[in-house]
Amino acid sequence: MSLARRLAWLVGPPLVLGALLIALWELWVDVRGISFWVLPPPSDVVRAFFAEPDRYLEALVESLVTATGGLVLASVVAFGLAVVMAHSRILERAIYPPALLVKVTPIVAVYPLLMIWFGFGVWPRVIVAALITFFPMLVNAMVGLRSVEPAVLDVMRVLDASRAQVLWKVRLPSSLPYVFAALRISVPLSLIGAVVAEFLSGAGGMGQLILIANGDLATDELFAAVFVLAAAGIGMTAIVSYVEARVLGWTAAERQQMGA
Amino acid sequence: MTSAPPTTPPGVAIAAHRLAHTYAGADGPLPALAPVDLEVAEGEFVSLVGPSGCGKTTLLRAVAGLLDPSEGEVGLLGGTPVEAQRARRIGLVAQDPGLLPWRTVEQNVRLPLEVTGGQGDVAGMLRQVGIAGFEHYRPAELSGGMRQRVALARALVHRPRVLLMDEPFGALDELSREAMRVELLRLWEAERITVLFVTHAVREAVLLSDRVLVMSPRPGRVVADIRVDLPRPRAPEMEESPAFFDAVRSIRAALTVDA
Repeated sequence: MSLARRLAWLVGPPLVLGALLIALWELWVDVRGISFWVLPPPSDVVRAFFAEPDRYLEALVESLVTATGGLVLASVVAFGLAVVMAHSRILERAIYPPALLVKVTPIVAVYPLLMIWFGFGVWPRVIVAALITFFPMLVNAMVGLRSVEPAVLDVMRVLDASRAQVLWKVRLPSSLPYVFAALRISVPLSLIGAVVAEFLSGAGGMGQLILIANGDLATDELFAAVFVLAAAGIGMTAIVSYVEARVLGWTAAERQQMGA
Repeated sequence: MTSAPPTTPPGVAIAAHRLAHTYAGADGPLPALAPVDLEVAEGEFVSLVGPSGCGKTTLLRAVAGLLDPSEGEVGLLGGTPVEAQRARRIGLVAQDPGLLPWRTVEQNVRLPLEVTGGQGDVAGMLRQVGIAGFEHYRPAELSGGMRQRVALARALVHRPRVLLMDEPFGALDELSREAMRVELLRLWEAERITVLFVTHAVREAVLLSDRVLVMSPRPGRVVADIRVDLPRPRAPEMEESPAFFDAVRSIRAALTVDA
């Protein structure tokens, strides 16, 4: 299949369905005479966005910086802890319960504390994005680091390989498919974390923009903000998938083998 | 318990003395290996044959230094198995080839050299096991037999003095198995390093080995030590010779006596 045809096959059906739904929406609002502050027609939403695109994009960039900062912070800490946990059952048992506690505690409840400790700047928001993405990375990285075939470990042991050699040459590459699976979960989560934190603090990025639009009863702007966030989430996920395909080319052959 | 120093006399590559092992199972201790004495001369090809669960893998793992036996001693190349590991003198091939899926064939075979920092002829090794031309393939793109050839090349590339093989052809179809036997014979007859070969295929053991040790069911003991009187180099046609049948018959007899 040619690239153009494959692309058409890939994005064609959802595009057609999307266009159809939007047309229905426009028609519905018009026919039923629904007031614009309950459900604005899509044409109004598009107009709201293009009236001041910079406002949306600047807010989005701010949210993305917060989200990415939190994601990177969480991933580095979680992966480091996972390396420690993968090497010691005792440390795994010690670290897992507090990590689970972080996962199950509603972040909304912790936010006032974060503001007391980290002030009104960007840090409490970054930390919310970090807390929300921490657990998937920790668990996946640990499982991934342990996912090594025993036969491989035997060979490494017979060669008197050091722990560092086993980590670099065997465990780290083995963990990558799991790390990417975690990223596919935590990348959209990080954006949710950032926007929730902006909501709670009433400052910064898309969260603040939404709060203001809500206060103005500017429903068209609310919708525009939602679509901008959705597009950003799709974009981030696509980037992860692209990098994953580049880094993990070898797993494609493996999956094919298992399917055969 | 006697505590002979874990070593081997000159000319002996592998020596086990009163070697026994009991696993701590979920339903109480599980004796896998009764006290076993064993000697393999340098350059000798010895097979361990026995029913499933007779402790042959346990024995091999103890020799490789992958398992700390509950009783007895293992000497390997004049020292302990762990010392032989440190000296990078062991090659290991298991039923599961244990290749790294993200590495190419060539990179997989190079692994021992990276780990040990030693020198070795990767290209020559690939040629010897018959996978030249597949250097840049990934394991998932190879058949089971080819993967096992890669595992064999990896086990030999750092020029070990002992090759330990645990049912290396166990997962292969009969045709690949036969090809691998011939390949292994050719390789071994050129190098003559010490081989301890675990299998439950009697004919395979006879065709390959100088000596076949027959083990009893759990907990495993060595119940027979049968010398194979076939000339070297061996060839698959020898499977029709009287000496071959003699060896097979003695092994079968030893296996059934205790079953």
